Amino acid sequence: MRSKRFEVLDQRPVNQDGYVKEWPEVGLIAMNSPFDPTPSIKIENGVVVEMDGKCRDDFDMLDTFIADYAIDLANAEEAMAKDSLEIARMLCDINVTRDEVLKYTVAITPAKLVEVVGNLSVLEAMMGITKMRARKQPANQCHVTNVKDNMIQIAADAAEAAVRGFAEMETTVGIVRYAPFNALAIMVGANVGRPGILTQCAVEEATELDLGMRGYTAYAETVSVYGTEDVFMDGDDTPWSKAFLASCYASRGIKMRFTSGTGSEVQMGMAEGKSMLYLEARCLAVTRGAGVQGTQNGSVSCIGVPAAVPGGIRAVACENLIAGMLDLENASSNDQTFTHSDLRRVARSIPQFIPGTDYICSGYSATPNYDNMFAGSNWDAEDYEDWCTIQRDLKVDAGLHPASEEEVVAARNKAARAIQAIFAQLGLPEITDEEVEAGTYANGSKDMPDRNVVEDLKAAEDMLARGVTGIDFVKALYKGGFEDVANSIFQIQKAKVVGDYLHTASMLDSDFHVISAVNSCNDYHGPMTGYQISPERWEKIANIRKAVDPATL
Amino acid sequence: MDQELLVRQIMQEVLKNMQGAQAAPAATVTAADYPLGEKMPEKIKSASGKTLDELTLDKVISGELTAADFRITKETLELQAQVADSVGRKTFGMNLRRAGELIPVPDARLLEIYNALRPYRSTKAELYAIGDELINQYGATVSGNFVKEAADVYEKRGRLKKA
Repeated sequence: MRSKRFEVLDQRPVNQDGYVKEWPEVGLIAMNSPFDPTPSIKIENGVVVEMDGKCRDDFDMLDTFIADYAIDLANAEEAMAKDSLEIARMLCDINVTRDEVLKYTVAITPAKLVEVVGNLSVLEAMMGITKMRARKQPANQCHVTNVKDNMIQIAADAAEAAVRGFAEMETTVGIVRYAPFNALAIMVGANVGRPGILTQCAVEEATELDLGMRGYTAYAETVSVYGTEDVFMDGDDTPWSKAFLASCYASRGIKMRFTSGTGSEVQMGMAEGKSMLYLEARCLAVTRGAGVQGTQNGSVSCIGVPAAVPGGIRAVACENLIAGMLDLENASSNDQTFTHSDLRRVARSIPQFIPGTDYICSGYSATPNYDNMFAGSNWDAEDYEDWCTIQRDLKVDAGLHPASEEEVVAARNKAARAIQAIFAQLGLPEITDEEVEAGTYANGSKDMPDRNVVEDLKAAEDMLARGVTGIDFVKALYKGGFEDVANSIFQIQKAKVVGDYLHTASMLDSDFHVISAVNSCNDYHGPMTGYQISPERWEKIANIRKAVDPATL
Repeated sequence: MDQELLVRQIMQEVLKNMQGAQAAPAATVTAADYPLGEKMPEKIKSASGKTLDELTLDKVISGELTAADFRITKETLELQAQVADSVGRKTFGMNLRRAGELIPVPDARLLEIYNALRPYRSTKAELYAIGDELINQYGATVSGNFVKEAADVYEKRGRLKKA
């Protein structure tokens, strides 16, 4: 006979998810694997001749790159000699500053990084993130996409997301040739909602750089690195090609970060029998070695893999922490559907939500789940007020704030009209008043009229062929009557001449001032230090839509 | 551009090197000078030689400024690299200096070089030729040697195109 209790449990969302027991021999283990290398370093005449138990002759491409570029060799011998447990304790000791910890953590090898964080409970890892996050003030990033690649909806959703507090936004495509329109729409929409928002369009590496060079984007993120040489090759890159690409971006004044995450290697069956976290530590070392200011990590699109093994979500917190230990900006994922359980969804995000990271989600879906073209996020537009309420419950600033229906509708409408105007000015296929109205009030692409896709794609290609640049967007917006939005896009183009925003963990405020880990470095060292929610900010966070004024009762 | 811009940049480089031969080492900037756009805007010019004051919305609308006026210079990236150094971000500073060298390389050529650096795309000789091109044609010494170093590593790891 079947237990009624177990019949009920079997039906629970948590039991619709997949789980697997550890298999360390093939790398199906989150961290603390018996097969991870023992930390070591030997330096002769300024050259690393042995690292993590391997001599230089046996180095693969990643080892060579990490040994030659990533590790601060001046302090390496001292740092490697320090007990890993002692460094772990420094991470959560409020009497040790971030700078003091960094002296050790940027001078140790991937195996040592993993050994250090292997001593931490998830709570201690969160304390570590609180201190090691690069920027003082946490922020949030969102995805703005839809299954139709409808540019009116992208502009409107981006404007709404800006009103709700996101500092950075990312789009991608269903159909690749829509990329120029999607990039244009998110840039315009975001800056309607709040001037100074940085936007990107995630596409294949070379195309993404091309869009940046044309001024269609303000930063790039989809620049993936991997923890074994075979997977790197499978991703069609090397540490050298990726480092060169990083310099290409900076040479055009464009901010960028790399992307990596636990689970990608074992998912490809090429983990070389190492733990997910050890391989991720190698990715982060490559990122630092390439001289890139930051990383999008936290398993990212592979979250289903660590989430399936014991301690996987702890390991994800630890990979975010290692990013901070390497002084990198951290856009910390929380961006992929991995579970049927709303409880697990929240639990997965706690280690980033509570300490705060440079960008807690990367990103939060500013659309319904079905419109998210990154295969669905962990947080969707339907969850906006859950996120805000949890912030209010815990008194945490996780980057968002409540918004009223009136302000959201107004921002969406202005963004839809702005994209209508810019299309008219640039001689692109007409955006009708009916589409503007649909975009103003839509929840998702099911609420949007279909467009003539063939005509759109032809026009998008033609726009590239004509050599239309971000500067032309500025002119078109201005001539179309959107002087303020024109000014925002102009200021973002100007930021690329100055380069202040290339620095670690940057964002722009609504007056285009750069806030980064240079002029606003995280200085947390215990209670009442580091980022504190101001009274004005708290008022905004606390004032959710459904809160009733007791005086009215 | 881009011919005129290129010539202008080469002239700037030549002049700078001539001056550099006599002048004392330039003072370095630090995090205290950051953001440079706010604290020392007079030090920053676009690649076309425009000062930050000259980069205005009005001039964009009138057509006086074009996209070519919105490109960063090697000098600015060097200043930003110094800021990075001052906060201990040496590897980031190195990336900014490599980037500074790549400014004169045309967009299309940069994309080609990136693709050539991908695995199995190039022979060792092809990568060495790119390295020489970067060094001799653009003065991009660090990046040129970086490409040659990649060729050596690819050879060792069997990641070159079969000749």
